[in-house]
Amino acid sequence: MAAQPVPRQYAMWKLMAWSGPIFFIGFFVMWGLLARNFPPMAASTSAEGMWEHYKNLQMEILIGMSVCIVLGSCYMTFGAAVSRVMRRIEDGEEGMLSNIEMLGSTITCCPIIVACGLWLTGGLLVDSLAPETIQMLYMGAWMIIDLAYMVTSWQIIACSVCFMRDKREKKLVPNYVSWWGFVTVASFFPVSLIPFFKTGPFAFHGLFNFWVAFPTWYIWIVLMSIYVIKAVYRLEAEEKASESVSAGLRGASATA
Amino acid sequence: MSSVVAAKERRIPGVEGVWVFVGADMFFFAVLFMSFMMERAKAVETFEASRLLLNQDIGGINTLILLTSSWLVVRGVQAAKVGDYDRVPRFLLGGLLFGVGFLVSKVFEYGAKFGAGITPVSNDFFMFYFALTGIHLLHVIGGSVVLLVFYLRARGNRINANNVAHLEAGGIYWHMVDLLWIMLFPLLYLLKAL
Repeated sequence: MAAQPVPRQYAMWKLMAWSGPIFFIGFFVMWGLLARNFPPMAASTSAEGMWEHYKNLQMEILIGMSVCIVLGSCYMTFGAAVSRVMRRIEDGEEGMLSNIEMLGSTITCCPIIVACGLWLTGGLLVDSLAPETIQMLYMGAWMIIDLAYMVTSWQIIACSVCFMRDKREKKLVPNYVSWWGFVTVASFFPVSLIPFFKTGPFAFHGLFNFWVAFPTWYIWIVLMSIYVIKAVYRLEAEEKASESVSAGLRGASATA
Repeated sequence: MSSVVAAKERRIPGVEGVWVFVGADMFFFAVLFMSFMMERAKAVETFEASRLLLNQDIGGINTLILLTSSWLVVRGVQAAKVGDYDRVPRFLLGGLLFGVGFLVSKVFEYGAKFGAGITPVSNDFFMFYFALTGIHLLHVIGGSVVLLVFYLRARGNRINANNVAHLEAGGIYWHMVDLLWIMLFPLLYLLKAL
């Protein structure tokens, strides 16, 4: 007996694709607004100033970072959905780029979750920790979340290259999004300078390394989420249409 | 009698997406230039004293190197557009070699600075000097790789009328790198305090 093809799990695929918006909206609200990282506390703030910050915003930081540790996983699930779309463009499961995308998005979760964990620890133990220890937790988390950018860069490069190779007349993800991916990667490189500066544009809270690099990445996630969600619905519609045509042809040949 | 004048097909040079990259990249540099000017206004004397420690001759030579490289790339793209594919590799190789020349020149320039004890943490001017020229240098390295790829493709006769827009896009990127240096050079090396 011939094996029946396993139907594709489009409902699960859609759910994973929608975890992209959950990630970017959740982080904007919980990390940015609630935990007051827009703007972040400056790298040049004294240890005592950082302690005061954590003391004054203890509850906001506890709630914000706890939620962000959970939401960080959505970047991985969203990455899984993107990877599936990419497999439709490249060489199925053997495709190198879709695998890099999947690995990149999964590993990107790690510095995000670890950094949020360190900020959470600072908030949790602020009453029993010395200002210098709070400073270490705060600065350390920034070094981890920022300097791991190359993992995310590989993920973004893989997406851009793959979607640009899409041979469809109307691509699943338009070229401008892929090029924006390259822009995002380019904006990451100056982040390597954050260990050297506590003020100016290259400090982690600075004009370039925060206000340019982060929004650039954020815009990429928003754009990619929109087009990947649309792509999943489109692929499902195309498959259904193809099945209808096949069924019609089978019916016609049986009648004949 | 009616005459029909065929409208000349208008198109954006290169591939559309490269302009997204160029526009955003130029915006990034504009932010950095603005940031430089703001910090300079706070410490004009330090910036002026530090500027005088830069070697303007090397800066000028670097400008000529990049302009020459850009000119060679223009010639290469033009040759490809008119179907003169035999000449394309030569022009691209020339452009690439001048790009490598820029890298070598920068190594000597940085080496001289470090030898004199000047580093990115010396003061705000040198923080900007190393950061801006360093980021630009990364662009030059990226552009050199792009030129190398197109040179190899041209040598293998893999550039044709169907894909000449890709070469044109690579050329646009290389001209952007050139243009950024043309803005960096006066900003860092020549801009005098009033």
